[in-house]
Amino acid sequence: MASKSSTAKPELRRSVTPWGSFSWGYSDVGADIFVGLGLVLACAAGATNVAFLFAGVVYVCIGLAYTELAATYPVAGGGQYFVMRGLGDFFGFIAGWAVLLDFTIDVTLFAWSSVDYTSQLLPALVNSIHPWIHFIVVLGLVVGLALLNVIGVRESTAFNGVVSALDVISETLILCFGFLFAFAPHLLLHAMHFNWPTPYQLMLGTSLAIVSFVGLESISQAAQETQRPASIIPRTSVALILTILIFALAYSNLALGLQPWHPIVDAAGHHLQFWQIFPHNADNQGKAVALLAAQIPYYGVFAALYVPVLGAVLLLISSNSGVFGSSRIAYAMSTSNLLPSIFQRVHATFRTPAISIVFFAAIAVVELVFSAAPALYPHAAAIYARFFHNENGLEFLADLYAFGAATSYSFVFLGLIALRMTDPLSPRKFKIPFNVPMTFRGERVDFPIVAVIGFIGIFSILIFTLRTHPLGRIFGPTWLLLGIVLYLVYRRYRRLPLLRSQPRDWRATQVDILRRSGELELMDEYVASVKASDARRAARGT
Amino acid sequence: MLVVRGVIAAGTIVSGAIVLVEMLLRVYAGWAILPGAVLGVAMIALGIYRLRQIAAVFHARKTT
Repeated sequence: MASKSSTAKPELRRSVTPWGSFSWGYSDVGADIFVGLGLVLACAAGATNVAFLFAGVVYVCIGLAYTELAATYPVAGGGQYFVMRGLGDFFGFIAGWAVLLDFTIDVTLFAWSSVDYTSQLLPALVNSIHPWIHFIVVLGLVVGLALLNVIGVRESTAFNGVVSALDVISETLILCFGFLFAFAPHLLLHAMHFNWPTPYQLMLGTSLAIVSFVGLESISQAAQETQRPASIIPRTSVALILTILIFALAYSNLALGLQPWHPIVDAAGHHLQFWQIFPHNADNQGKAVALLAAQIPYYGVFAALYVPVLGAVLLLISSNSGVFGSSRIAYAMSTSNLLPSIFQRVHATFRTPAISIVFFAAIAVVELVFSAAPALYPHAAAIYARFFHNENGLEFLADLYAFGAATSYSFVFLGLIALRMTDPLSPRKFKIPFNVPMTFRGERVDFPIVAVIGFIGIFSILIFTLRTHPLGRIFGPTWLLLGIVLYLVYRRYRRLPLLRSQPRDWRATQVDILRRSGELELMDEYVASVKASDARRAARGT
Repeated sequence: MLVVRGVIAAGTIVSGAIVLVEMLLRVYAGWAILPGAVLGVAMIALGIYRLRQIAAVFHARKTT
């Protein structure tokens, strides 16, 4: 007995509560508007709210897909696991590898933007003036978060919960005061009519707007560590989806129709609308919400002091979600033989995937070096100016973020459709609405119309990304190719099928998943459905 | 706490309705009101969703 316990494989703890599950998602997705707003305002100008609307509709479809899948298959793999089950090992790997790119970018992008928000109060951190200080502080944050995650998740979720609550209150107050005292509908309509972007800029803005909606993966990542996930995940996800959509649409409309409390003038003395301070100004793009909050009448006096701090903390938590998420995906991919087994080693004391955390934090540091290079070295700046449309560090990270998200989400929609067809027996406590009932291989299945709409939407955003992001279309596919080479070498080394899937007993796996997650009623329901299905097949002689 | 949550949810519905009406009053602007109108609808939907959750908790407490 002692021997059995000493050799038992350590597992991830189920320590994430309903609020913890919401706050993991919120701290990741909710923080995105802090980064995305300035970037989209800079590109989409008068169509910023339309860009957010398009990306928001796609995001709702993605959110519903993740909610259904995470509640049905509450395991730590998230998108890659769903795709692997639906489409096979190879596509599961590609989806997972794209998500890993996103999470490593997430670590760097949000740590970077966290420092940008702090720079609103501490000018020594302004990137364009002190690039080396900015770089060193971001580097310190990434390394510090990696160490925090090696120690454990319980402390992080408690902290997330408090900051998420503060942020929801704060963002709501900013919007209430903003719409009550500073919103001028005629300015919004004027901006939309007279500052409508070119089709290229609109595509660029829309592809960047999806950056504001990335992170639902965190909830499905936390599913393996959530108590009663099939019940909790839908409850927290639907509220999260609507909350994020509301904030994104509200902020974009407010930013376009904002009557600034303090007049904004350019170098020539011309009065500007609020949104006009973002094009060609990377420093402003990185701290848009803080700048907006400072322009809210009355409340702005107070908001100008605390919003940069709150934004910085929330972004730091989002960065932390990247460390958390990447290590959990790698853990799950490793247990499915998509990545080497070293990534599934759990630290004996802390019970966290320490090696994964350190490895992907190191990749985040490499991405940081690439993004900071133009500001640090004039030679690098010249190369970026010549070959990459003079993109700055923030845009470099956003490019890759949009590419990774659009790629993985496209596969997730396909995975959802495939799973609806091939695994209709798994109990779905939450199902995306608007389905077409049909019969497939002798079983009654529901074909998801929303998944098709979502796929068309996210695939078009992927096309926009490849068309308009000079760095994204080079580094994104390069990341995927490197991953595929790694995958093929590993699978060959392990003598596993290269492009086909290794045989798995999904029925036994599903029973095990439901049993481990504490969803015993669903497990019984699943077993009964399987027996009934087998009996029907036997009766038909198939 | 549930009552406070209920009040917030009801406030969300009212705010959403105000946004929606404000947008519909500017229907002459054409499709430009669409993002604002969707914002109003999303707020109403969130409020209703939260109220339904709260009602379910009340119901569960009453029956146990």
